[in-house]
Amino acid sequence: MALHSVSIALTGSGGAGAMTAGQILLDAASKAGFYGLMTRSMGPQIRGGEAAALLRISTEPVTSLDDHYDILVAFDWGNINRFSAELPLSAQSLIIADPEQGDVPEAIGVYGARIAELPMKTIAATIPGGRINMVGVGAAAALIGLPLEAVLGVLTAQLGRKGEEVLAAATAGLKAGAEAAAELPEVAKLPAHKHDGAARWNISGNEAAGLGALKGGIKFVAAYPITPGTEVLEYLAPNLPKVGGVLVQAEDELASINMVIGGSFAGLPSLTATSGPGLALMTESIGLAVASETPLVVVDVMRGGPSTGIPTKSEQSDLNIAVYGLHGDAPHLVVAPNSIADCQFATQWAVYLAESLQTPAIVLSDQAMGQARCVIPKPEDSGFVAKRLVAEDSAESYKRYALTNSGVSPMAVPGTPGCMYVADGLEHNERGTPSSQASDHQSQLDKRARKLDNFDYGAHWADVEGEGEIAVLTWGSGTGPAQEAIQRAKAKGIKAKLISVRLIAPAQPAKMAEALKGVKKLLVVEQSHSQQFHKFLRGHYDLPAQVSVLSRPGPLPIRPAQIETILASWN
Amino acid sequence: MTEVANFLAHAVALEAEAVERYDELADAMEVHNNMEVADLFRQLAKFSRLHLAEVKETAKGVDLPHLKPWEYQWHAAEGPESAPVERTHYRMTPYHCIHLALANERRGHQYYADLAYKATDAEVKKLAQQFADEEAQHVVMLEKWAATVKEPEADWDVDFDPPAVTD
Amino acid sequence: MNVQAAPLTHNDYKSDVKPIWCPGCGDYAVLSAVTRALADLGRPREQIAFISGIGCSSRIPAYTNVYGFHGVHGRALAIAAGVKVARPDLTVIAAGGDGDGLSIGGNHFMHACRRNVDMTYIVMDNEVYGMTKGQASPTTAPDWCKSKLTPEGTGISAVDPCRLALAAGANFIARGFAGNPNEVARLIVEGINHPGFSFVQVLSPCVTYRPEQREWKSIVHPADASPAQIMAEAMHRMAADDGFTTGVLFQGNRAPFQPIGKNTASFADLERKFES
Repeated sequence: MALHSVSIALTGSGGAGAMTAGQILLDAASKAGFYGLMTRSMGPQIRGGEAAALLRISTEPVTSLDDHYDILVAFDWGNINRFSAELPLSAQSLIIADPEQGDVPEAIGVYGARIAELPMKTIAATIPGGRINMVGVGAAAALIGLPLEAVLGVLTAQLGRKGEEVLAAATAGLKAGAEAAAELPEVAKLPAHKHDGAARWNISGNEAAGLGALKGGIKFVAAYPITPGTEVLEYLAPNLPKVGGVLVQAEDELASINMVIGGSFAGLPSLTATSGPGLALMTESIGLAVASETPLVVVDVMRGGPSTGIPTKSEQSDLNIAVYGLHGDAPHLVVAPNSIADCQFATQWAVYLAESLQTPAIVLSDQAMGQARCVIPKPEDSGFVAKRLVAEDSAESYKRYALTNSGVSPMAVPGTPGCMYVADGLEHNERGTPSSQASDHQSQLDKRARKLDNFDYGAHWADVEGEGEIAVLTWGSGTGPAQEAIQRAKAKGIKAKLISVRLIAPAQPAKMAEALKGVKKLLVVEQSHSQQFHKFLRGHYDLPAQVSVLSRPGPLPIRPAQIETILASWN
Repeated sequence: MTEVANFLAHAVALEAEAVERYDELADAMEVHNNMEVADLFRQLAKFSRLHLAEVKETAKGVDLPHLKPWEYQWHAAEGPESAPVERTHYRMTPYHCIHLALANERRGHQYYADLAYKATDAEVKKLAQQFADEEAQHVVMLEKWAATVKEPEADWDVDFDPPAVTD
Repeated sequence: MNVQAAPLTHNDYKSDVKPIWCPGCGDYAVLSAVTRALADLGRPREQIAFISGIGCSSRIPAYTNVYGFHGVHGRALAIAAGVKVARPDLTVIAAGGDGDGLSIGGNHFMHACRRNVDMTYIVMDNEVYGMTKGQASPTTAPDWCKSKLTPEGTGISAVDPCRLALAAGANFIARGFAGNPNEVARLIVEGINHPGFSFVQVLSPCVTYRPEQREWKSIVHPADASPAQIMAEAMHRMAADDGFTTGVLFQGNRAPFQPIGKNTASFADLERKFES
């Protein structure tokens, strides 16, 4: 089925309520049977800053933003220059501007879009308790053909608790906006669409990661807040205890990673979530988890770096630190979700892998997925649950780091009689006694590498779709736009293959060789300035002779058209 | 708890702690490759082990109280025959080792002699005197031993290598 | 017929690994005290988790026959908190040196005191970094100039770990001396029995880098009063203290931190929240 979608950007500052407006539209779209995606772009202010809600509503599930917005509803123009680059418009787009807020700024005007005036502030002022964002929601919903009943249903559900007056004011604003929209020029509309009855979720990537953690069997979480990873922890705080786990807020990331090591050593599958700066602080202790063979999961929701960088916006630039950031030869797992829905699967799988292999797993999500909300078909349960090889009561001399064929050794949980041992970050012998002998170092390094190398990761190492001599090789948030670009290309008769790598580390050369069989031209797509992913691929895989790289730093997302253009030029 | 039982509990602990300390020091000397002194501490542990067996034999049939480590009434922080850890050194010589042991035995003798003098319980007085006499013999034996060991040069603790860095 | 196992002695809590500590080191006494304390408490060995960081004293878990974790420098308290919060049934002890606990791990020390997880932390304080060749630590006097790193002294005032613990909210504070391992054993037993975070500073001489600490034997003195139970009283006493008073210095009564999971929802319940 062809994808029909409409994209809307809502911007405003100083408490205009753009984010709430976007949220209501997304929820209403879901109620009306559509799918959708909403990302956000925020200024640095805690309150009253400029904000943009960036929506795409569609007849089919979407995992990527479109190339441009069909409608820009601007409640005001405060600091619009700061993110105008994130609001691409076409000549067919419609800017809905409030004349009271002055002329459309040059930064937006350059797109050459149509402009329609809508005095949202004045309209809102005529309604007791009226708010401009509700007028904007009404106008946008009417313009794109989103049934007003669906929006009213969401309003009633969300505002009902706040009293009749609030609900009445919101409803009046909504209707006034919808009526006013009748006078506005036509824009791209959603087709008439019936709810297909299939169960669907409205979920953010960070919530999905938290849910995946719980379903994977996480029972202990240590938390230190950091944008944009905090929501993973905030999801877990009330929900983890409901499934019998505990969460503790740590004093810093050094503490959170070590608490997690302690919780896991004590026998509970354990996790923490962070972002780049926090991951940097944790790396020493992630190495400890490798050496001591303590399973754990760190969810890194990437943001623009280096240093404090751009905390509120996305980038795929923690790949290097996640893969190479540990000192010494420290084999570990790096798993990257490639969509909001996949945040659940990938995190759940990471818990399973970490516990199976008794090593740390870093889940590389990013702000674009983590803080975006998406209406998705209800995911099927992957069934991956933590299952650790544990030692039973032993009268024999227990060897925590026994050299087994698989490389995985039974791990004694404190409380098990006869198996007392000391987990150690110092190199050690099979019993765990510190050793600096060459033979012990060699055999323990071999063991820790072997267990990762020999494991069967199945088909989950990557999503490989389509066929063709052209392929797009990407990861994480590059996947959505790549999928869409390939679909569009296909409609034009261009066949291309998609390879979206989920298991970043350990690398899977044999599987990659199979996936790349017959591929003559390869496009690598990633969101980093220094081509971290491309260089990683070069280091671990044999690539076809012809390789192009589409690499750009954040905060601008990669759009399908950028990929589509390259594919078309190759045909 | 009778006074005799209390006395004997102390006597057992005194020797047991002495054994343990000598073994610990022997281990420490081994780890630091001072095998000569390690062997001496091991011998001293052996002697103390014999004394411990003797004291236990004496205490046979007596229901000894179980005292917590800090409930023992020593004259100092530890039992009188526990070698003071701070008086040891990784390059210590047999001379230091024997003199350390001699000091331990002298304190042991002093401890029992003191009790023999102060005790009001006749049985305790008798046993304390008996143990004091035995310790006096140990002192004489160690004095003779000590006389055969030459005092080291003043630079006995010089190490031409600097301390190692580890973790 | 049930065979009653003989009660464990302190030697049963020792491993067969021989310490690498210098002969004369105070840490031997702490090992002795810990094993005696555990034997006195009669806790099964498998129910004990002994956590440390990096440094001479942090080697101690390997010398015991209980579950242990020898982690990275400065983070023992964080690992220990994770263990205890995850497994409240375990007896958790953390140990390490003054550098590990008060310098690189200083932030965790403060927060462990205020978090008040039910565990016992032993700092073996020798006022020096032993494993890196004798540099000044946070407890080193400002005019100590034997380190090549600070040949003219640090010029920075030393911190009294007990005062720090009190200010940060530790629920039990004691100071012992390695020369009196039996008393240290008592302090550890009391610390373990006291609910919440218990801090035990042990003055533990370094014969290699601080040979003058052999004289501590004649300087330490027992507290002349029973433990303070009121913060103001403890502060008053500690303000006038010379840092060599041994005994239990403070006993608070704050409730320990222990979140509890309850199992009140199924995954289906959690997933329902996302249906739209």
